[in-house]
Order: sequence, then structure tokens, then C-alpha cells
Amino acid sequence: MKKKHKTERSNSIYYASDNLSYIITNTPELGILKSLGIVKDACVKKMMTHHFGGPVLIKVESSEIAIGKDIAEKIMVRG
Amino acid sequence: MSGCHEVNYDTKVFDKPNKILLMGNPNVGKSVFFSNMTGISVVSSNFAGTTVSYTEGKLKLADETYNLIDVPGTYSMEATSEAEEVAVQFMNSKPVAILCVLDATNLERNIKLGLELQNYNVPIVYALNMVDVAKRHGVDVNVNLLSKELGAPVIATVAVKGEGFDRLKEELYKLIKGGHGACNKCASCPASNRREGDSWDRAREIAKRVRKNVDGKLSFIDRLGNNMLKPWPGIPIALFIIMISLAAVVGGGEVLREGLLLPLVNNILVPFFKSILQSFIPEGILLNVLIGEYGIFVIGFEWIIALILPYVFLFYIVFSFLEDSGILPRLSVLFDNIMRKMGIQGGSIITILMGYGCAVPAIIGSRVATTKKERLIVSTVVCFAVPCISQTGALISLFAGFSPILLVLMILLSLAVMAIVSSVLSRRLKGTIDPMVIEIPNLLLPNGKAYGKKLMIRMKHFLVEAEVPMLISIIIAALLKETGLLDSIAVYLEPIVSGWLGLPKEAVIALILGVVRREMAVAPLLAIEGLTALQAFVGGTVALLYLPCLSVFGILSKEFNAKVAVTIGVSTFISAFLVAGLINQMAHLFMSLGIA
Repeated sequence: MKKKHKTERSNSIYYASDNLSYIITNTPELGILKSLGIVKDACVKKMMTHHFGGPVLIKVESSEIAIGKDIAEKIMVRG
Repeated sequence: MSGCHEVNYDTKVFDKPNKILLMGNPNVGKSVFFSNMTGISVVSSNFAGTTVSYTEGKLKLADETYNLIDVPGTYSMEATSEAEEVAVQFMNSKPVAILCVLDATNLERNIKLGLELQNYNVPIVYALNMVDVAKRHGVDVNVNLLSKELGAPVIATVAVKGEGFDRLKEELYKLIKGGHGACNKCASCPASNRREGDSWDRAREIAKRVRKNVDGKLSFIDRLGNNMLKPWPGIPIALFIIMISLAAVVGGGEVLREGLLLPLVNNILVPFFKSILQSFIPEGILLNVLIGEYGIFVIGFEWIIALILPYVFLFYIVFSFLEDSGILPRLSVLFDNIMRKMGIQGGSIITILMGYGCAVPAIIGSRVATTKKERLIVSTVVCFAVPCISQTGALISLFAGFSPILLVLMILLSLAVMAIVSSVLSRRLKGTIDPMVIEIPNLLLPNGKAYGKKLMIRMKHFLVEAEVPMLISIIIAALLKETGLLDSIAVYLEPIVSGWLGLPKEAVIALILGVVRREMAVAPLLAIEGLTALQAFVGGTVALLYLPCLSVFGILSKEFNAKVAVTIGVSTFISAFLVAGLINQMAHLFMSLGIA
């Protein structure tokens, strides 16, 4: 999955490399994301992206959160 | 069933005196606290949002009684959802104290809510729950420092093991009597010089200070939980779990039925009632209606006790386990990509699986869907392609006489119908579907006591809810068959039943009863002798796709409206005859070609 998207050079967490921590720079205005602590400046760890349009798995503190592709693509991060 | 405690919404509760509010994020174990402190059992599950509304119970502290209220789990007090609105209302209803449960594995988010609660100037005791899990994950929390930072007592607890409750009650009592918690009125109190600004920043700061990273040792279950989230080995594990669950329900049900319940019914119950009734009722129609081949006392026992009960029981054993262990959200993650292609999202898989037990709680449970469109699609899919466990039991028994291939074909057929219905609706219906965002709970072994209680509640519910419609359909069946009424009705339905579907005329009874309850669209087929494999499959197909039962109509009209209920009813009816008839006609075509 990682290889496939390397060319896209997007800052979205959906295409970011696995097993690294990122700081969120921008996220869609969504109550549920805010509630789960996926807010601007939060530090998250990207675990993996599932194949075939599956969700991205990220870790905020000790909790793992799965985010569907269509939202995850809009969550921007920096290394 | 999530339907258990969501209807008791009564505004009078806000006026009650001596309220203690039990608050916290979703899935931090509040329901376990509530059960433990009040002795009232609540249905809890290992994923967010089981408690849609509140539950109340009596809590005794020393010799005084308080009303403990289990407020729905909230992430914030911003009233962005229905649950949060309820929480805000409770906070403004003059409670005497708050018991706020914090999840030690998720400090930032939980502390943030904890801080927000302090704005209401109500004494708070914090319970830092799941400290054991946090340690395994490599996080040790300095409880004393946290208590100082929050300016209120913090007690470490392991709720599922009952650790920390005594101290918690002591602190609560002291706080209420002393009236001196995080009152924020004295300058010495750290909570009083709270900084203005984002509670996120402050929460992060506190979390950083009280958290100490230690060498965590993930247990086997923790590692299994992590592995289940990756396609490899997650998908094989998931398929294995599904197979085991299916085998437990199907195989276990067969064993119970053949080994215990059928002999009990045929050798003891039925002969017993036969001999009693025969002793004072003369031979004739009445006696036949009661104890004839289709008599109320014969099929009543045979169908309910031997055919339905074992499967319902086993289904809830398995499903409750999947629920409490945290396996279900992992299935959502693994199958989100497929569900997304079907036009819905992974989270809906939980509702659909619930439908394999009974469509009614599934349709109520579809409330968790974030958009109306998704709710409608999920409910329709459940009505169309998901057989309830009673019907599954009947289908399994029907196919057991032939070949297991029929069962596999039936499963494939139902999955295909599910995919088609969902894809078509997602394209046709107006509106949007929100992509999945779910928090994955820790995988854990269900707590025996809570699990047992939940099972009891569910079985009781089933017996209460299903008994009347089952008895009604059995009485209709007995009357139709034993009075000869069936033969006169059958004449009219003959072209469809025998011509188009190729079923024997006794199958008419199944179509009539199927309106009342789903399994009754199958059960009468079991009694027909000389049924061919094709007829069994066609009959099974009609039953699978046929009208959902009367209770489902009721719940559809209640949760949506009469138009939705009628539309679903009519379209399932048409599709049942269409698909089953086509299967029959095509099979005959192939057979004649084969012979020629």
C-alpha cells in the first residue's frame, strides 16, 4: 500500500508512512474526530492503511482509532 | 439488546433529589461501576455507545440513600450529540456529586472531559479505571499527582475485578458530607487557578505530567487484539472466529435438538398432554386442533422448544461473547473496504450481525448510524437478506435432511442479495453516508458475571417478546390444517405455489404463517414428506426473502414510518417469489436439458 501511494506525495495521513508519529496540521470539522482527540496539533501515530479503500489505523495515546478512507484523506499531518 | 434501557426517558428524573451522576467517556466501564454500586444489571458491551439514554439506581453510602444515575458516555460537554445534550441537562439539574470515570489508557481525552465537568461547580470524585490495562500498555499513572492537578480525589480502580469500589464509596461520602471537593472557591485549591483557554492544552499538559512510561508487557490477548486489526493475520482469524461461531450455533443447536429436546418433546411432553386431553375431549375437530398431527400441543412444543429455542440460546451465547470481547469493532475495521463498496461503512456490520439474532433490536440499534440514509439501508438489508436466528435454526433443520451444500448455497445467496440491495439503495436513495470513525476497544475476556446477566436478560426478552406471536402462528397453523380450511385456500394459491415455485400444496401454510413470524415460513416445510432437495431450497429461498415478521413491521413503522414499512414489505414479498421462482424454473430447465 505504502509503495503504491508514494508518488502522490500527499500530506494526508492516509498516505503517510506506517509506524511513525505525526502532528496534525488540519482536520475536517467533525464532532467525532474532535471527541476522539484528533484535533489540530495533536500527536498521532500512524499504524497502517488497509488495502482496497479500507480504513487507516492511527493511535492517539493508547487508543487505536480506525478512520474510513474518505475522511482520513482529509486529515493533513506533518512529520 | 440496546433497546433495553433507552425508552425510559422521563424528565422527572431531573427533579429528583440526592442525585449522584456517573459520568465519563464512552466505553470506560461506567455500566460496570453502575452494576457494582447499585446491584442493578445493565447491558454493557465492549464498544462505544451501548447506553443511549440514562439508567438510575439506588446507591447506599453509610446509612443514606442516593440516586445514582448512569449518564450516557460523552467525550465533551458541548452538546453536539443527543447523548451530550442529556449529559448537559443532568449537570444542570443540581446533582449532589459527580463520579467521573477516567480511562487510564486514554488520559488526555478523559482528563479533558474531567476538566470540563469542573465548570459546573459540583463536587467530583474521579475513578481512574483500567489501571491494569494501562500498565500492560506501558503507562503508569501517578494517582496522587493527578489528584493534585485536578484538585479532587482520584481513586485507582479495576472495575471488572471490583477493585477500588470501597475506597470510591468512602471518598464519595466524605465529599458529599464535607461539601469540599473541587469547589474552586479557596485559593489553596489548585483547580481554582485554572487557566483560561483550550481544555485540550491543559489536558495534554496534565497527562504528560502524571504519565510515566514503564516497560509494558503486552499479554497474549493484547497482542491478539493488535494482530486482529491487520489484514494478515486479522482476516484469517476473523474468518476462523466466524466459522467457530457458526459451528457452535449450528452444531451445538443440532446436538441439543437431536440429543435432548426432540426426545423430550416427542417422548415426554407430547404424549403427556395427549393422554390428558384425550381423557376428556371426544374425538373430532377440537381434539385434532389440540393434538392432531398439526395440533397446538404438538407443533407448539416441537417448533418452539425443539426448533427455535436451542438456536436462539446458542446465538446469544456467541453474540454476547463477541460483543463483550471487543471482536465486533475489529470486524468493522477488517471489512470496512467491502462494506464501503456496498455503499455503507464498516461500523454497520455490528448492526447487521445483530440482525442474525433478531431484526427488531437490529433496527432499533441502527440508530447508531450517523445519517438517515445509512439507517434506512442497514434496516432494509436486515429485512431482506438477514434471516433471524429462529429462521436460521429452521433452515438448518430443513437442510439437514439433504446436504450441507444447500446451506452453503443459501448463505451465498443471502450475501449476494445483501450486496445487491445495499448497492442499489446507496445509489438510489438521497443523502450521504458518513465514513467510518471508530475507536477500537481493548480485546478482553468477558467478565463472567456481567456476561451471564446479559444472557439472562436477552433470553427473558426473547421469551416475552416472541411467545405471543409464536403461539398465534401455531394456533393459525393448527386451525388451517386440522379443519381442512387449508385445502380450500390452497386452490387459489396453487398456480403460484405449485406451478411457479414447484412446491407441494402444503407449502401454502408456510406462506401464510411466514407473515406472522419468519421461522414459521420454514417450519411447516419440515413436516412435508417427500420434499426434494430443490423444493427444500426453493422453499428456503422464499422464506429467507419473504416478508419480515409482524414485529418487524411494527418496529419499522415506529422507527421510520408506515410508508417505509409497506415499501419494504411489498418489495421483499415480490423479490421472494421472483428469486425463488426463477431458481425453480432455471433448475427445471437445466434438468430437462440434462436429460435431453
